[in-house]
Amino acid sequence: MFKIRKNEIQQYLFLLPVFIIVLVIFAYPYIRNLIYSFYDISFGGAESNYIGLKNYIYLVGSKFFWDALGKSLYWTLGNLVIQLIVPLFLAILLNTKIKGIHLARSLVMLPWIAPTVAVAVCMRWMLLPRIGIINAFLTSIGLMEKQIHFLGNNTTAMPVLILLNSWKFLPFGTLMILAALQAIPLSVFEAAEVDGATGFQKFRFITFPLLGSMIWFVGFLAFAWNFNTFDFIWLTTQGGPGTTTQTLPVLIYRTAFKTFRLGEASAITVFIGIFLIILGLFYFSYLTPKEKQ
Amino acid sequence: MAEINRIKNIITICVIILVIGLIIWPFIYIFISSFKPLKEIMARASFLPVDPTLKNYQTLLFARTPVRDFPRFLLNSLYVSVFTALFTLIISSISGYGIARNRKLRVGLVSKFLLFIYVFPTVVLLVPIYKLFTSMGLYDNLFGLIIIYTALVSPFCTWLLVSFFENIPRELEESAGIDGAGTFTTFTRIVIPLASPGLVTAGAYSFITAWGEYMFALILMSSNLKKTGPLGLATFTAEQYIEWGPLLSGSILIMIPVFILFMPVSGYFIKGFTAGAVKE
Repeated sequence: MFKIRKNEIQQYLFLLPVFIIVLVIFAYPYIRNLIYSFYDISFGGAESNYIGLKNYIYLVGSKFFWDALGKSLYWTLGNLVIQLIVPLFLAILLNTKIKGIHLARSLVMLPWIAPTVAVAVCMRWMLLPRIGIINAFLTSIGLMEKQIHFLGNNTTAMPVLILLNSWKFLPFGTLMILAALQAIPLSVFEAAEVDGATGFQKFRFITFPLLGSMIWFVGFLAFAWNFNTFDFIWLTTQGGPGTTTQTLPVLIYRTAFKTFRLGEASAITVFIGIFLIILGLFYFSYLTPKEKQ
Repeated sequence: MAEINRIKNIITICVIILVIGLIIWPFIYIFISSFKPLKEIMARASFLPVDPTLKNYQTLLFARTPVRDFPRFLLNSLYVSVFTALFTLIISSISGYGIARNRKLRVGLVSKFLLFIYVFPTVVLLVPIYKLFTSMGLYDNLFGLIIIYTALVSPFCTWLLVSFFENIPRELEESAGIDGAGTFTTFTRIVIPLASPGLVTAGAYSFITAWGEYMFALILMSSNLKKTGPLGLATFTAEQYIEWGPLLSGSILIMIPVFILFMPVSGYFIKGFTAGAVKE
């Protein structure tokens, strides 16, 4: 009896390192954030004053906040749609047994593991008018009549950024859906073939339903990550032109480190945190398959 | 029938090659372009360099000034990434083992919690981490970056390692126990060697993340000597006159270590990454 107890305590001790890290780097700062959001904090070591709900009241009346929230939703949903649909086809394509398929799968991963800074810098160059290859290509095949400054233009900046960011994150969804595909036993397909099912019917009635929970999983992760994207946007457009691509994360950074209103930035942060926690709870309680015992 | 299958196979291979080409051509194009002289980089785009040169790399690596010291930035990144990987491995292998060996924890909240941390919006940490690290003397300190990066990746690496530890037969550990090995000895002599593919995956993941991270480096590092590669490269783009040549070669230099590290372990990486996910 005592032996079992001792073992159990030992097992909990094993968890301690990661638990401490989560507490110090995630939980504690988040609570600090909540406190900061009630203060008027200037940059550096200067004094801060308790101002109650003023930061929140200011936000509710702030045009920038609502604008950024709208941009965030546009950005997140745009990315989400592409990052769910394209990986589905990529994964089905890569789910074949031929020579060199492992190399193919590894190569597909490259955009995802490439450092964001390098991708952003190179893309900026490739998208430039006059000297960029993308403009040159699109005009030479006649898709565009004149060259466009993609990232410096109100109408194109956001869609182009969404495309680029989706390109970078396609591998993640592909990998996850591929894994789910490989978990489907072949015998299911064979049985369907015996019954005379066509390729499309197999996809529609076997693959797609069985992928359901994985698609929700990828969707959930992609939503949270995209909602959270800061570096890619900051490194390409800095939220511009104007506020065209200024999503909430960009607004937080600007408010805190460019206009030095830390308290106000914290208030936005609290909003994002609550929003994503609700989303997470919703996902975990309704959309995850119940544990198979 | 065999004939039809062969034709089908060839078509599949062609489609796969085409799709992969569509996905990774920017890397090839940038690599080739990094050997173009400035005149070609700033002129109408062509795919191949007319007059290839190493000048972009030379400027970046040898024309060093205190403000633009790219080799130094890369060294800083290397230092940060190596220690992040090391600390992450220690932390996540211990915790991952604990979860793998406890059914209650494995299927329960802890495992979900780690995943929840994985999608935690890190932007919300900007202000409090900035304040916390400033008060602790970790501002403008590479060690501060190591701490934050370790914290960012270790929950996920723990989750990753759980599925590797689970596949180690318990009997092996039990027989070691009968031979008189304590928990610690069993862990270091039996479990760790058997889980080495998982450790390689987790190590590579932490290295790659730390090597490319930009946001925390941006708010925590200020002096030129302590900038990491990504931060250094980004500051070049903020200059009045953007020199695209060195920027392209710099991008290649930042990407290459990641690709070199990734390709050999990509099999494990893909397997380890998905093993946990399918179970969830």
